[in-house]
Amino acid sequence: MRTLLSILLRTLGACVSLAVIACVSTPTSAENSEALHGWLQWRGPDQNGTSAETNLPDTWEIGGENHLWDIELQGRGTPLIAEGRVYSWGYRGELFDLREVLVCLDENTGEVIWEREFPDFLSETIYNRYSIGSPVIDAETRSIYLNASSGEIYCLSLDGEVRWVHSMQEEFGRNTYPNGRIGAPTIEGDLVVFRGVTNNWGAHGPPRDRLYAFDKRTGESIWVATPGQGPPFLKDSCFATPVYDWWDGRRVLYTGLGSGAIVCVNAWTGETLWRSQQIIGGINSSVLLHDGKLIAVHGRQNLDTTETGRMLALKLPSSKRLEQAESLPLDIGKKDEVWRLPISMFTSSPVLVDDRLYQVDHTGELHCVDVTKGVELWTKKLGPQQIHASPLYADGKLYVPLNEGEFWILRPSDEGAEELAFLELEGNALGTPAAWNGKVYVHTTKRLYCFGSKDGNADNLPPVRKPVAYGKPGKAAALQVVPTEVLLRPGESVPMKVYAIDGNGQRIGPVAAPVVWDGVPGPGGKPTLTASVKASGALAVPADAKPSVGVGRATVGEVTGTFRGRVVPSYPYEEDFESFELKATNPVDGVSFAHPPSFWIMGRVKWEVRERDGSKVLAKTTDNLIHHRVMTFIGHPEDSGYEVLADVMTDGNRRGAGEVGVINQRYIIKLLGNHDLLEVSSNIERYRATVPFEVKAKQWYRMRTRVDVADDGSGVIRAKVWKRGDDEPSDWMIEAEHPTAHPHGSFGVFGLSPQPSQRVYIDNIEVREAPAMKGSGS
Amino acid sequence: MKRKTTILKITTIAPAIALLTFLAPAFAVPLEATDPAAPAAVTENAPAKTTEWRQWGRTPERNMVGFADNLPETFEPGEIQDDESVDLSTTENVLWVTKLGSQTYGNPTIADGRIYIGTNNQGRNDPRFPGDYGVVTCIDAATGKKHWELTIPKLGSGKVGDWEFLGVCSSPAVFGDRVYVITNRCEVIALDVNGMADGNQGLQDEGQYMSYKGITPQPPVDVKPTDADIIWRYDMRLELGIYPHNITSSSVLVVGDYIYASTSNGVTYNHKGIPSPKAPSMVVLDRKAAEKEGATADDILVGEEASGLSKKILHCNWTSPTYGEVDGKPILIFGGPDGVTYAFDPKPVPDEEGFGVLTQLWSLDCNPKEYRFRDGDPEKPIKYATAPGPSEIISTPVFHDGRVYVAIGQDPEHGEGVGCFTCIDAKTGKKLWEYRINRTISTPSIADGLAYIADYSGFLYCLDAEDGTLYWKYDTVAPIWGSTLVADGKVYLGNEDGLLTVMHTAATRKLADELGAPVEIEYRRGKLTAIGSKEEREISGEAVHEYFNEVDFGHAVYLSPIVANDTLYVGTMTHLFATREGAEPVGMQKKSGGAGSTGSESAGER
Repeated sequence: MRTLLSILLRTLGACVSLAVIACVSTPTSAENSEALHGWLQWRGPDQNGTSAETNLPDTWEIGGENHLWDIELQGRGTPLIAEGRVYSWGYRGELFDLREVLVCLDENTGEVIWEREFPDFLSETIYNRYSIGSPVIDAETRSIYLNASSGEIYCLSLDGEVRWVHSMQEEFGRNTYPNGRIGAPTIEGDLVVFRGVTNNWGAHGPPRDRLYAFDKRTGESIWVATPGQGPPFLKDSCFATPVYDWWDGRRVLYTGLGSGAIVCVNAWTGETLWRSQQIIGGINSSVLLHDGKLIAVHGRQNLDTTETGRMLALKLPSSKRLEQAESLPLDIGKKDEVWRLPISMFTSSPVLVDDRLYQVDHTGELHCVDVTKGVELWTKKLGPQQIHASPLYADGKLYVPLNEGEFWILRPSDEGAEELAFLELEGNALGTPAAWNGKVYVHTTKRLYCFGSKDGNADNLPPVRKPVAYGKPGKAAALQVVPTEVLLRPGESVPMKVYAIDGNGQRIGPVAAPVVWDGVPGPGGKPTLTASVKASGALAVPADAKPSVGVGRATVGEVTGTFRGRVVPSYPYEEDFESFELKATNPVDGVSFAHPPSFWIMGRVKWEVRERDGSKVLAKTTDNLIHHRVMTFIGHPEDSGYEVLADVMTDGNRRGAGEVGVINQRYIIKLLGNHDLLEVSSNIERYRATVPFEVKAKQWYRMRTRVDVADDGSGVIRAKVWKRGDDEPSDWMIEAEHPTAHPHGSFGVFGLSPQPSQRVYIDNIEVREAPAMKGSGS
Repeated sequence: MKRKTTILKITTIAPAIALLTFLAPAFAVPLEATDPAAPAAVTENAPAKTTEWRQWGRTPERNMVGFADNLPETFEPGEIQDDESVDLSTTENVLWVTKLGSQTYGNPTIADGRIYIGTNNQGRNDPRFPGDYGVVTCIDAATGKKHWELTIPKLGSGKVGDWEFLGVCSSPAVFGDRVYVITNRCEVIALDVNGMADGNQGLQDEGQYMSYKGITPQPPVDVKPTDADIIWRYDMRLELGIYPHNITSSSVLVVGDYIYASTSNGVTYNHKGIPSPKAPSMVVLDRKAAEKEGATADDILVGEEASGLSKKILHCNWTSPTYGEVDGKPILIFGGPDGVTYAFDPKPVPDEEGFGVLTQLWSLDCNPKEYRFRDGDPEKPIKYATAPGPSEIISTPVFHDGRVYVAIGQDPEHGEGVGCFTCIDAKTGKKLWEYRINRTISTPSIADGLAYIADYSGFLYCLDAEDGTLYWKYDTVAPIWGSTLVADGKVYLGNEDGLLTVMHTAATRKLADELGAPVEIEYRRGKLTAIGSKEEREISGEAVHEYFNEVDFGHAVYLSPIVANDTLYVGTMTHLFATREGAEPVGMQKKSGGAGSTGSESAGER
């Protein structure tokens, strides 16, 4: 059901430029008002799944006692509540109509106050696994931050206006996954931190579970952390929510990773301080801190036994160990383990009440653990299985949703758990309940439920939390260059800021002294970035500059700081690969090749420039099956109004062939060699159109594509394909209409080669301004 | 706790591992005269009424029923020690316990005093094989000691095609002196039952085979007497263009000279399309031709399904083929990746291009129409993997007495959803009856006029095999991956909570009459509650055991129990238990260093 208001807002939204990194409005006007009071993050202010509110309902019935309202709204996360409004991150629709939505509701009635849609594009999300990561509200700036399944991250006002946005896929090479697990953003001081497994360029090229900190007001990139290892440890995307605390004079964050480690990262700089490699695979549950130790649970393959899953407590290392370390991160191992228990859980998080921990395991059993002694006090089977949902503890009660929609209210003690209420909700419960102002909320894949009292509960709310005070910084030890990750096109520039930070990474303030800028030498021994910082302090790319990547450096006296820059081409852009020198040798087949251009992201080891048919062409690699599919971004996420041409070809035989094509404005347009189709898609469950096209193996085809978006937001994706060398057909072969077209997006290339016999090739890429269409109306 | 019996909830998510397992067929040992191709060979080494369990489902008909006497009503699996061995002094009715890897989905088979089981490499500590591998282990049935192991490198395709740590999900089939198994690399492989102990027969490059890193060869590893001896292998991925989805999981069927194998061809890594629609879902290999000197892949492949099943794959193709005879005519039954059951003539015939193909005899959609289309309207398809939507067949169809019993289901990762258990006239392909259960990957047992089937939601059903009338239903309250075993008047079934349920077939059937069928049975806190249409009854104390026993392993029991030579074999993810009424443990288990087996012969290498 879509309200008129939502349609209006969507239309409004389409008019707002969602500029990458662009700061549309800075939330200064609200900053001096009283800080927000509410349930602002899914784990609560103590980051442990508890609320200090009292006088919350002991029991309820659907359609009966304490059932205040429920609305039809699919969701898998936790709503937030502030100033009488509920902010719910959910989704509406089922097929091509599906959109993630941020819905603002009245807390007493569930009536929609405003609603904003976030269309998916190019993601791997399947089975409608949307809106998993809960948003977070920053009390200071009155902003709400969310992580959409498309990989776009947003800062919005509490009225739904976009303050800034980044496209993590196109800017940072963030991967998306069929499981849809997306981490909740978190706030620390002036920063908002997101996460994801990325394949960017250079040192950030290899896949790792990375953390990205942005200035919460401006969206400028502050640091990128790479705290974990890659394959074979990296086996899962991870949505663990980091936990923040002080450690040895620093603000740090603790989190599990998709690569099976628990890490401590300096929250001011992104430096990894220590790492404890526990398993192969992901640790998704949030960690807990208790009395000098960290408690974690996982559900994957242990390294030291053949058991799957474990709960453990690690003693936090002393600052002395850090001082004595020859290099970071410190390795925290078994000797630091305080206790372990055979409790296995892959994604649901524990809650901590004093020194009693409550955890639902994957078989639906609730465990109560004394975390001081490391012993299990009791267990209680609540249902057949649990997946993502975590319990909430408040007012002496545990509110526990289970995957199949069962919901328990329990009063735990050291002897067991008294059953106060049980009910079955419609849909699956994958999100954790929230409690605020006398009401408890829970999302299912069908509805959002609110139980409790309309009267509010002002006398029993927890006190307002003051922001963490940072104290006085020490002497300058390094520089922090902002933004630390820059994406520009020729002719563009961005103001650079330089801050002094102390030895702990705490920011001292902007640097007043003159800054000396230079480039850090790249692999060839020379700086590679085709951009420089001007006297104005702006990093500028000459209009005629070639695309590039490189690291820039700021120096003031003895201290330095760096940033990473990526200059992507604007169109017209051409690449025929003939200038590449094939200096490398493939270790499997011995064939000479060159890596694809350095500024392309998400494809460095998935493509090779090789000789084929007397020409240098882009060839899909086939020597590593996990790389069998590739989606590579070349341009800028703000690009629009262009057409992409390319030669494409697949190897194959009677058993199979590959898929090959291009990306145009967030649509993949490709030939499906095994299906004899020309396809346009953007996450094929969200948008797909096809026409028959007989694809012959080992035949080069020329492809032309364009996307035309009208003022009303609708669009047409056009493509035609013909045998290379033949005359181009005058008519488009596919003119796919999309009522809510993607207005912009990076151009790129796509390939799928499950086997060496199905290798695909691309050549003669041309991107140019789309000529006017006759009678297209666009 | 109240539970819905007809479920309809979707689980989305899941990080879990996809799995499939039990589907896997094993192969066939020949019923008498069941071999259309080479009747004489079929009976090779295969007693007509074997008390062994030589293949998935014991016989080519795949009926999960065994012959045994005096099987244990219950037993005590014992305590696991720090080194992960079981303290046998704490067990009861346990003959031996063997340590397996960390995840074991390849259901055991037993022939000629040896047990074969698919598992993974964790805890093996063989310095030649660091990390993740698939493993097939050959264990001595009398002692639990390991004879040899096959080590199979991962494909390196991650969760896409060879999911981490899933090991070998195929149930080996033993036929003469050969073991046939489908590997995690999407190969059909033939092994020497004696391993390398009697020298290297057939294929000679085991050292190279075991060395692969992904699909890249590395310097060969040293071959040892405790390694498996590969006779030949057929790579379905490379030869047929198969795109295995998540994992290769099915068990072969052997009839005469022919091996019938599901290919595990599936949808893309992201479930959004079928990369290999032109590859077959099932193939026929000539196991005798494969052993001829210089045999090529083309010599081995003699036939394939050509009904276009791969164009209709919903998710993957993990079922195992089944064989039977109707009026003396052989029939091959295949649970399709589209949720349709197919019957073929098992003998391939050349198509117009000369490729051997299987002639389809009939097909029957085992999804009720309302699972495929909302309100039965073809314009309103219901999305796959949603709780009310259609499913494929992962469970193995059972052929029994001229009928086919088959159930639909999905990867456990897709959670619970609607399912259906269908009985088909094997001659005509007409539906005789259906009973709505939830999604399942369990294979049924048909015995004494009763049909037993479990579903993923955790229910065990007992139906009239003739007309599908439900007599009773038992709620185990945890997901079920394995299949029922009916033997010695009992039905055995494991679940994810690590509970092995043992129901007495005669007593529970009688209970249904007394209380009025259908009877819903639950067991909580020592009490059995049975609610019939006429009467409710609460049974407690010793009287419970007239109907029911429960063995708590503490760890998920995903494997299907099997029985051979009056011994029951039950496996968890990490250990295989041989249990026998009144058994004394074989030796007393010594504490070994590391996660070793029960005094493995090759413990020094592990």
